Amino acid sequence: MDRIRILLSRVAALFRKQKLDADFDEELRAHIDLAVEENLRRGMSSDAARTEALREFGGVAQTRERYRVQRGLPWLEKAARDIRYAVRQLRKSPGFAFTAILTLALGIGAATSVFSVVNAVLLKPFAFRDPDRLVVLREVVEDPAKDERSSIPDNYRHVLRLKSDARTIEDAAIFGQRGMSVAAGADHPRIVGGVAASPNIFRLLGVQPLLGRDFVEDDARQSSESVVILSYEGWQTFFARDPAVIGKELRVEGHPVTIIGVLPAGMRFPQIALSPKIAFQEATDATLLYEPLAPSKRDLAADMGNFNYKSIARLKPGVTLAQANAELEALQNAYTLSAHLPLHFGIALTPLTEDVASGISGALWMLFAAVGAVLLIACVNLANLQLARAVNAERETAVRAALGASRGQLVRSRLAESLVLAFVGGAAGVALAFLGVRVLLALVSANVPRLDEVHVSIPVLLFAALLSIVAAVAFGILPAFRSLRVAPQAALQANSTRAANTQEGRRTRSAMVAAQVACTVVLLIVTSLTLRSFSRLLRQGRGFDASHLTLAQADLFDPQYDDDGPKRDTTRLAFADRALAALGQLPGVQSVALTSVTPLTGENWVDNIFRPDHPVPAGQEPAVNVRWINPDYLPTMQGSLVAGRNITGSDRANPYVALISERAAREGFPGENPIGKKISDLVPDDKHPLTVVGVVADAHINGLKDNAAMVYLPYWAYTPLTLSFLVRSSQASDALIPEMRRAIWDLDSQVAIPTLKSMDDQVSDSVATDRFQAIVLTSFGAAALFLALLGVYGVLAYSVSLRRQEFGIRIALGSGKGALIGLVLRQAAYPVLLGTGVGLTMALIALRWVRSLLYQTPVMDPLAIGSSVLLLLASAAIAAAVPARRAASTDPMRALRTE
Amino acid sequence: MGNDKSDVLQGTLDLMVLKTLESMGPLHGYGIARRIEQVSGNSLTLNQGTIYPALLRLEQRGWIKSAWGTSESNRRAKFYSLSPRGHKQIEEETENWERIAATMSRFLAPSN
Repeated sequence: MDRIRILLSRVAALFRKQKLDADFDEELRAHIDLAVEENLRRGMSSDAARTEALREFGGVAQTRERYRVQRGLPWLEKAARDIRYAVRQLRKSPGFAFTAILTLALGIGAATSVFSVVNAVLLKPFAFRDPDRLVVLREVVEDPAKDERSSIPDNYRHVLRLKSDARTIEDAAIFGQRGMSVAAGADHPRIVGGVAASPNIFRLLGVQPLLGRDFVEDDARQSSESVVILSYEGWQTFFARDPAVIGKELRVEGHPVTIIGVLPAGMRFPQIALSPKIAFQEATDATLLYEPLAPSKRDLAADMGNFNYKSIARLKPGVTLAQANAELEALQNAYTLSAHLPLHFGIALTPLTEDVASGISGALWMLFAAVGAVLLIACVNLANLQLARAVNAERETAVRAALGASRGQLVRSRLAESLVLAFVGGAAGVALAFLGVRVLLALVSANVPRLDEVHVSIPVLLFAALLSIVAAVAFGILPAFRSLRVAPQAALQANSTRAANTQEGRRTRSAMVAAQVACTVVLLIVTSLTLRSFSRLLRQGRGFDASHLTLAQADLFDPQYDDDGPKRDTTRLAFADRALAALGQLPGVQSVALTSVTPLTGENWVDNIFRPDHPVPAGQEPAVNVRWINPDYLPTMQGSLVAGRNITGSDRANPYVALISERAAREGFPGENPIGKKISDLVPDDKHPLTVVGVVADAHINGLKDNAAMVYLPYWAYTPLTLSFLVRSSQASDALIPEMRRAIWDLDSQVAIPTLKSMDDQVSDSVATDRFQAIVLTSFGAAALFLALLGVYGVLAYSVSLRRQEFGIRIALGSGKGALIGLVLRQAAYPVLLGTGVGLTMALIALRWVRSLLYQTPVMDPLAIGSSVLLLLASAAIAAAVPARRAASTDPMRALRTE
Repeated sequence: MGNDKSDVLQGTLDLMVLKTLESMGPLHGYGIARRIEQVSGNSLTLNQGTIYPALLRLEQRGWIKSAWGTSESNRRAKFYSLSPRGHKQIEEETENWERIAATMSRFLAPSN
């Protein structure tokens, strides 16, 4: 209590210093006057009375000083004095101050921008109740032969069983996310992000509807009326935030549904991939509506199929992830055995935040490390500059020390300078970060989760502040402590430039250059590996040709196309035929391909090769991606046939023919000729065996990094709900796109077209994350190289300028220019070579983490490592050559005269 | 800042000031200093100036108040007086001091 009162009164005193000083002086005068009066009364002479009064009082100056110490906050005043002094010093060297502030602003700005992305995407917990207890529950399949565990989507029945048996989890919700075709009134349907979840989803997450009611268990019965809950964004999009929205209707996939609730703003459903191999396709669309998940009979009955779901579980309080994981794994293993399931099922729990970010976290952490390295290099540069300044100011430091400045004061005033720089640089860096975040968001691919949450927030600002302080200390502490070692007498006696170039100072500066070079080498190697990986990704044989192709995805969600509809898939087949014909009629079109899954959207429709002639143990059948295509698919995509024949129009009458990819042939028919062999059970609800008629070359059709085994079947055997048309045309995509849209909507205005773009754009979008990584890393690598060169140049130039006399003498004594250049270059070579060596060693360690981020690029790529080192050495040589030439061109007369 | 000697003296001086104000009523700094000198006889030689940081400290703690007034010789001077909290504090400080004094005298008593 007293402490606070004292502190307050002291702080208050800081602001009324002059008034209080005057008051106290007046009080002291009164004291002396009163004493003099009394002494006079005692009969002293007026002189003696005053002398006696002053003697009794003691030192007036000391009293005043002590009084001030008691009154104010001396440390604060001292700090203010240090800062004023620092600002004055910096104003005297505006060039240095400007360079330092600019470097810091760029470094801190870049680091803060990257951190704001890292924070939002990787670190920030979701705004749910106790988000740290939420985990994503995934099933895994163990392959004992290969000692591998691979993650698969969840089976409804398995999760239901785990939810009721497990004691470590409080609750679990099962759900699926997909693009839903939604129409309000008579509009064309739009594909928007949708979630179908068990009714407990919002209770599990701890979210309450803003309007209306939550789901109840009855909503999830197949027979019950269709209801949906809108997200706040959905409410805005479809009803312009109409408060009377409850009870109104929308059409979802052609069926009328009733709105029963609206969620609060800020509720964002996590984008969870169905499995790590499947890119999250609807990531760009925020979730607009939620429907209750009504499990089908098959969902409830099948143990070995319908792996279609994702689950979130909430751990009981106090339960660790490992405990829950162990319990669920044991339950799952026990069930696998007791139910005699043909596969080994396990469980993998991942914290929600981590699972959502799993696809991007490696790349982001790497960028964060890279920007950290750049900042470190920048700090080392500043430390070098500061050191040079400290050395130049040695004489001044010595004077201050001789006049009685304590060691603490000397260190403080040096540190204050760094803090002032860090503060100004940090503030400018934060301003730059607002810009930097926008640049990053423009570069980053849209399927990175939680991008809408990226902005410069309080934690980000705290990070920037912390970074500034750390930077200030990092580059300020060394010069500060160096000033302690100044022996006043030596510094005052010596010629200042000679004192500066002591062996010790040179060693410190060389060590710093070496550190910079080491960091730069690591960063350059990582950058060039990333570039190599990216260029390999783009240049590899893809097995298809994207140029002159335009892509349109049509989703047939109208009830007439339903599986349950009376005409089964004949309506879809009819639509596909008419669409192929209509698109083929467009001007300039050479051919039109049809496929069931839009290229480069990940693995999808994964099934297995069952061979009636050659059964393998259940669960061991090779996995394949199934695609439903037309005969023109192969020529349009310019894929090549390796063996056998393509599907032809004459197969339509008996459509049970199949093309398989080379990999499928290798895995399904090892050592055999697959042509003419039968495979079965790939056509939904149709047991008719399929005859393999051809083998096609492998193509990276699911993703440029993906090379899954494929089976292509004619769409006459089965026409799926999602059709992707690829039009090869001499016309540009821009011109073709509106015509394609019109052609499709002319056939049926209730077909949704979620994707319509050139295939080149689709390729480019699919590698957006890799491109982002390559671009950002390259800019960081370039910045690091530039800063390191600046470091090499700066240190060398400084040292040359200090040794001008020495060079003058050497020249006067007959030393040749070449010898002098060699002398300077040698001085530069030690730290650069040492740094390169250390950097290579560090790279060996760091590259282990980079490996998983590279595509088919060995981390020990000699070209990448060699070119990085060469680039660095060559640039360092250029940076060193400038001061070396200056050394050689020293005019001996002038250099000696300045002595 | 201060040396060890004045730190030890600090509490003592505070109590002396409080007691002086208690017995004399409102008083200016010179008066307080003189009074302390008189009461202590010549056993305590006090630099009168040291009274001022002590007065400020007591005021910061809220134990005394100050106001400008006029001395008996019509000189404008700052007068200090005890606050209600100061009155209470005297008891506490006195006890405190007596405890220390008792402890000290036990140490100083001839041991046998």
